[in-house]
Amino acid sequence: MEFPKILTRFENIPNSRALATYEKHGGYEAARKVLGQKPEEVIALVKDSGLRGRGGAGFPTGLKWSFVPKSADTVYLLCNNDEGEPGTFKDRYILELSPHMLIEGMIIAAHAIGAKKAYIYTRCEFYDEIRWMNEAIEEAYKAGYLGANLLGTKLHIDLDHYIGAGAYICGEETGLISSLEGKKGQPKLKPPFPAVSGYLGKPTIVNNTETLAAVPWIITHGAAAYKAMGTEKSPGTKLFCVSGPVKKPGVFERPLGYPLKKLIFEDAGGMIDGKQLKAVIPGGASAPVLLPAEIETLTLDYEAIAAAGSMLGSGAVMVIPHDQPMMELLRILVNFFHHESCGQCTPCREGTGWLANIVQGVEEKTALPEDIEKLYQIALHMEGRTICALSDAAAMPTKAITKKFADELKQTIYANSRLGG
Amino acid sequence: MADTVTFRLNDKNVTVPKGWTVMQAAKQEKVDIPHFCWHPGLSVAGVCRFCMVHVQGARKLEIACNLQATEGMVVRTDTPEVKEAHKWGLEFHLINHPLDCPVCDQAGECGLQDFYMEVGKYPSQMTRPKVLKPKAVDLGPRLILDTERCILCSRCVRFEEEVTKTNALGIFDRGDRAIIGTYGEEKIAHNYQENLVDICPVGAFTSKKFRFKQRVWFLQEKSTICPGCSTGCKIQVHARTDRRTYYRVKPQTDEAVNGFWMCDKGRDTITHLNRESRLPQAQMMIEGKKQTVPVPQALNSLQRAIAAAGAQHTALLVSAHYTVEEYQAFFDYFCTQLGVKTIYQWRGDKEDRDAFDGILWRGDENPNTAGLLASLSQIQGRKVEARNELVACVAQDPKVLIALCPEVPFTSTWFQGDLAKLEGISHVSLWTCRYEATEAAGITSWIPMKGFAEKTGHFLNYQGAKRELEEAFPSAAASALSVVEAVQQLALPQPSVTL
Amino acid sequence: MAIIRVPRPPRDTNVFAAAWGYTTTICTGLTLTLTIFFRQLLKREKSETVEWPEQPATYGERFKGKHFLTKREDGQVRCTACFLCATACPAQCIHIEAGQHPSNEIEKFPVRFEIDILRCVFCGYCEEACPVDAIRLGPEYAIVDTSEKKWVYTKDYLADRPALQGGIHSIKPENEKHTSIGHEPTAGERKSQAHHGHS
Repeated sequence: MEFPKILTRFENIPNSRALATYEKHGGYEAARKVLGQKPEEVIALVKDSGLRGRGGAGFPTGLKWSFVPKSADTVYLLCNNDEGEPGTFKDRYILELSPHMLIEGMIIAAHAIGAKKAYIYTRCEFYDEIRWMNEAIEEAYKAGYLGANLLGTKLHIDLDHYIGAGAYICGEETGLISSLEGKKGQPKLKPPFPAVSGYLGKPTIVNNTETLAAVPWIITHGAAAYKAMGTEKSPGTKLFCVSGPVKKPGVFERPLGYPLKKLIFEDAGGMIDGKQLKAVIPGGASAPVLLPAEIETLTLDYEAIAAAGSMLGSGAVMVIPHDQPMMELLRILVNFFHHESCGQCTPCREGTGWLANIVQGVEEKTALPEDIEKLYQIALHMEGRTICALSDAAAMPTKAITKKFADELKQTIYANSRLGG
Repeated sequence: MADTVTFRLNDKNVTVPKGWTVMQAAKQEKVDIPHFCWHPGLSVAGVCRFCMVHVQGARKLEIACNLQATEGMVVRTDTPEVKEAHKWGLEFHLINHPLDCPVCDQAGECGLQDFYMEVGKYPSQMTRPKVLKPKAVDLGPRLILDTERCILCSRCVRFEEEVTKTNALGIFDRGDRAIIGTYGEEKIAHNYQENLVDICPVGAFTSKKFRFKQRVWFLQEKSTICPGCSTGCKIQVHARTDRRTYYRVKPQTDEAVNGFWMCDKGRDTITHLNRESRLPQAQMMIEGKKQTVPVPQALNSLQRAIAAAGAQHTALLVSAHYTVEEYQAFFDYFCTQLGVKTIYQWRGDKEDRDAFDGILWRGDENPNTAGLLASLSQIQGRKVEARNELVACVAQDPKVLIALCPEVPFTSTWFQGDLAKLEGISHVSLWTCRYEATEAAGITSWIPMKGFAEKTGHFLNYQGAKRELEEAFPSAAASALSVVEAVQQLALPQPSVTL
Repeated sequence: MAIIRVPRPPRDTNVFAAAWGYTTTICTGLTLTLTIFFRQLLKREKSETVEWPEQPATYGERFKGKHFLTKREDGQVRCTACFLCATACPAQCIHIEAGQHPSNEIEKFPVRFEIDILRCVFCGYCEEACPVDAIRLGPEYAIVDTSEKKWVYTKDYLADRPALQGGIHSIKPENEKHTSIGHEPTAGERKSQAHHGHS
């Protein structure tokens, strides 16, 4: 079956990262087209296309761009390439295929919001991708796509590549801004929102790599073509990262609203070695797990997954096989969030530590079956109490696992206790 | 009106200026919203997540400290959901808190204790080992930090950033491993260290000077004015009245003068009022020997000395540490009634008298310079400022000298040094509250005075603003007098005390 | 105002019948007293009266007599100088001066700990207020001395007087603040619970 290819259209093209290859396939034409237009027209077009933020929250991109105050003299555009959500590897795939697609998207976005300076914030673990991105930026500057008087216009857009230190919290937009400012990567209190006061106190738009990379295609093919794909509320295509014991794990570009079961059992080839499906995490580590019964007819779009009690997030589909002990999964998750909590807000700082501490008790054979209920209660009261969503990200999967697999977890505790073990 | 907003806070319509947060409005309306990180003198951090309130129509609870009051908003602080959030907020703060209240100086005035009694009162659910962090870290000449007790409200970090602008403190590491600290081995060195102790809502920062000295519930506090410099900060003195001992000084909020802060120098202006350093009784040199005598006898002998020498050979030496009321009574009696014409005013010979550190402290370390000058301007006579040349001034042949000594330690020591240079005056009467003054040579009599915290009256600060002193606690020296009382005694008809 | 008339009980005219109850009870009691008196006089039964102070007399361990301070394993007093006993004391007879302990684990300890025993009312509030089981009232009741100075018990006397036979250890764990709720004392801690000696 054929699928529309927007972000992965450079798959199977040799030397796809080079500027020449990108130009050969219509590269930078969208930018040329846009620079003659008024910023409002660009924003209206992106609004029409229904493009939503691909970082996890799914906020309409055009709407976000329109929040920048008209009177602002300095505006910044930041590209959030700090892909840290466990199970997610889509942004690096875009850089691997075509970093110029991102650069072009950023030129368009910078023009739309009136930014003269744009930054790409990449995590330091992306060793090769950083190199490729730097090469691409250099090429783009040489070819006159960036810098002063780009593409023969009077515009001036500078693009810088900033390498973060690999903190999960710097993938949160205000955390990213703090980090870029040279401060400790800690989210900032909202309001004021970044679109009003962000990087260095100036209006700032932070977009995900995937979002920005989709922009050139929308400009070239029009909003209607983009809207034709996906569902009504979630148009377009999205990259899904399938991981776990499936036959063909990897990145798949599919229109939103695609059936999850089909993605796992057909596109990814189904489970390996006769393993059974136990649960699926549909949107990265911070998304609640779903049971096989819940995904029977589930489609991959923001609304359907939210209705099922989880979230699409970054589109990291993690497949959990029948022989995966859920206590182990819970331990890995809470330890991750405990390690990555920035420590600013009390419920998150203490809550993630407490969750990890209790799960540690299972290993130490001091846990009690009641602790499962306690984990749920702690998670319940961590949710929605903090500046950023990391607390929610830790709470939601904990709640789901302790609720849906309570019996199994209690059995693990019993087997691990002095009585059982 | 355009510049105010009216919203509903717990069944009550509240009108506040535009731009105010719900927290500010609640403070004004005396509605208690528990909080740790919010402080009226600092920026909003919004990290303790404790001040949760319910806003009608909002998806989740909001924090009051960062919630701007808008027209028609409906806020409740007492719904079950809010109470649950407060309870859990406190639980999160307490799970890794060492609960070493018995050895913690903050016990009794601790935010955690107060809010536990207010919104908590539940058995802890924490049954796991707690996170251990460094204890009793030396952070400066006046500070000890206990990172385990710290709840990371970041008030201290913001104080360093916004008030002193020294940025000496930071939060290191992440998650529940985060600790407050200075960069490397650096110590906090500025003159406002103990404000960190005051703003710390828990016992993380403790003052080296007050550490372990006394439990706060034994202390009583009274407000008065700091005598340390001409800023005239409003302060609270904390004392155990049963022991007549002062233990510490804290700033009191006075937006116009000192805001929420005071300097460390000002905090040292209290110890001289305790018994060990007080002049308990009048003293006189009788036949070459120093003897303790009743106050009336000392005053009597001064009176006779003035009568013998005559007003033209009598001089006054006045420091700027007394209240305006005292100066008026003093000059009234000596200048107007007795006709003394020579007045030396002593304010120290500091070159940097006009210095100002940009926050509170001023180079003029006399609390009532403006008051003294104002009182002096109302009287006739030769008014000399005794700076460097105190000796030269006084050498102009007065036979009797009455000196009002400064009381604050740092100015007093200096005054004593200047006094030591005097000679050839037949009767020097020193009016002082300090025992160490009796070490000075060439003095004839010493009259015990009340300290600043023991008398009523007012200072005029550098702006000329009236700073009211309240009589705080009874004096540790039972026979101490204020200048007004001493002058009243002098003005009485000759008492029948004989030698 | 209405007046309610209450009927009086009928008057018992028989004085002897009325006194009979008292008389029998008095006689029963007196008989018991005399029986024990004669038994002990004739050495049939051990007498409870001792010729104190020539003969030693002891009270039970729970008697609230002279105070003592319990000790840590290493021989230092357990007291953390929290002043709670001084706060609770209705006679205000406890005077504490706190200091910084060289070990940060302990942090605060009493440099001076004095009880003015003449003012003490032996109410035991100090014992109850103590959060670390550092002060107790022991079974020593003979409080005799010769000068006013000796009535003020110092820290050394409270922790180390000869009657305590080297000091009393507490059953409570020392690092209590860092242990979880419901901590059971270990075998070692149980063992350290000593019986306080007294003569």
